[in-house]
Amino acid sequence: MVKMSLEPVQVMSGQVAELKVAPSSNGDSAGSWEGKREFDKDHLGLTAKPKPVTGRRARKVEGAVFFPKPENAVTVAVSSRVLFRTEREQKVFEQKGVEEYLRYQIEHENEPFAPGPAFPFVKALEAVNARLRELYPESEELFDIVLVTYNHAHVGIRLINTINHHNLFIERFCMTGGSSPIGYLKAWQTNLYLSADANKVREALTEGIAAATMFMPEKMTEVSESQLRVAFDGDAVLFSDESERIFKAHGLDKFFEHEKENEDRLLDHGPLKGFLEALGKLQKKFYAKGQRLDCPIRTYLVTARSAASSGIRALKTLRAWGLEIDEALFLAGAPKGPMLEKIRPHIYFDDQMFHVEGAAEMGTIAAHVPYGIAQKHNSKHNTSAGK
Amino acid sequence: MVSTDQKTDVKEKEADCPVVVAVTSHAVFESGGAQDPDGLYVGGIAFPLLQALQKVNERLLKENPAESLLFDVILITTESQQQQQSSRITESIRHHGLKVSRFCFSNEEDFMENLLNNNVHLFLTTNRNEALQGSQKGVLSVLLDEHTASCPTEQLRVLFCGDAVVQSEAGPALASKQAAQSFSAQIGKMRGRFGPFDSPISIALVTSRGGRESCGDALRTLRSLGVNADEAYCLAGAPRGPIKRLLQPHFLLSECFSSN
Repeated sequence: MVKMSLEPVQVMSGQVAELKVAPSSNGDSAGSWEGKREFDKDHLGLTAKPKPVTGRRARKVEGAVFFPKPENAVTVAVSSRVLFRTEREQKVFEQKGVEEYLRYQIEHENEPFAPGPAFPFVKALEAVNARLRELYPESEELFDIVLVTYNHAHVGIRLINTINHHNLFIERFCMTGGSSPIGYLKAWQTNLYLSADANKVREALTEGIAAATMFMPEKMTEVSESQLRVAFDGDAVLFSDESERIFKAHGLDKFFEHEKENEDRLLDHGPLKGFLEALGKLQKKFYAKGQRLDCPIRTYLVTARSAASSGIRALKTLRAWGLEIDEALFLAGAPKGPMLEKIRPHIYFDDQMFHVEGAAEMGTIAAHVPYGIAQKHNSKHNTSAGK
Repeated sequence: MVSTDQKTDVKEKEADCPVVVAVTSHAVFESGGAQDPDGLYVGGIAFPLLQALQKVNERLLKENPAESLLFDVILITTESQQQQQSSRITESIRHHGLKVSRFCFSNEEDFMENLLNNNVHLFLTTNRNEALQGSQKGVLSVLLDEHTASCPTEQLRVLFCGDAVVQSEAGPALASKQAAQSFSAQIGKMRGRFGPFDSPISIALVTSRGGRESCGDALRTLRSLGVNADEAYCLAGAPRGPIKRLLQPHFLLSECFSSN
């Protein structure tokens, strides 16, 4: 029986050197594990000194790009129900029907919606854009935030008023009046789609678009306004669910056995791998300008795998993919909530509702990725103890 | 359907007259006068559009058998060859189940007169010259192309281009602002006869260049004309092609927003 430490192991890149993998095995740039060792030891999960938010962003920046081409930008599509709080309107829709709902929306057109669960995430994306524009004013490699909603265009004016009110930089949107937005998501080469509706998210995943369902937590703890933090679960999020299947079918010991035997065989990719890749590309742009310490993007792996055993395969896979993750936290089955509360990500992706709910209870904004074997089981009774 | 002012709706009902749509025979039938084994003309580019117009009429009458705001389709034939076959034309129309209220046979010089005399609100053609002439005379003229042929027949899809971007290829209708606005108002009213879902007409708005403010302005402009859009897309410079392909509009209107 593997001894499970009670202390979740927080692995910094420095400790990863124990893997004894050749530094340049992934053929990656100089910004690889070794360079990060010194950096990470001093910044154990704490932010780099936060830059003061520069108030209202100047819209007229000389020569800067405002409307990037979809193929160059990292396109993040959010639905109106996750960007804003629309519970009251939802209730009108459910209780009184669509006509009354539309009438209500028009009546309240000049009342902006309150921020929803994706709001801090979107604000953080904009903060990154501001920094990118400073360094690369001509570049189109920016975050492009698109509002994608099933709503009828009747609600359009209220949504535009709300975007204005919150001073968000959203210039592209899609109101499909009831039909599926999947075609538009694909046309705009969407890198990530966030919605309140699990069915729509599943549809997007089937089409190969990274997507997750967001929920409004009871409380939202404060997150950084200057550094975007994105946390990912490992199995069935960054990686495929192949190992999780083994665990569910044959139990923990078999899982460990399988992972050990296949340590050098890469895991297959999961639905959010592409998004992590996109984040990594933008991070490298900051590193190239000597802003590694001050990088406004930080990524985290928060997995139930164990550092000493099953975690190795995860790290080797990331390494082989050429993906860097700033912090890898191997919880060996410990609850994720407390660790996430320390990290304070703007969004945390997990395939199991159990973890999403656990995170939300502690105020972390978590998003559910309805992918893989975990969806077939009752979420409330699922634990992924001791992976 | 939600309307922002229900009182005027009731008053205006009394004043509704049909929306006269003129279509040329070379748009309705396959070019070259191709015939099927029975000697009837084969359906052409405008076919799905006419079927969609008909669908709208059927549904309007279903909602209100006394409805007067309907599409009134007239067929204009200028080709002398086809004119000699007038019975073949009427037979073909009937065979394909299309409802045409009037057939106008005229020569190329007179056909504009025909349009004006018949109080045509919308002129559909596959001939660029005819479209230009029509718009010069103040008639809303739409140049149809092969894209129109692949549009749905079950729903009339109208696309408003909010920042008056006129394409060089077959695309937005050419017309005076007034003709465009009054036609749009009629379409808006027709749309208002149905609920948010399962409507035989669908109205979409696309703004190509500007950001959200330009789309917001366009939505407000449409609303002032009595048009409530179902769908709205603010592209802010993103490519139009994919969006147009997904929307499959039967025709585009842009003159409502131009500044002239």
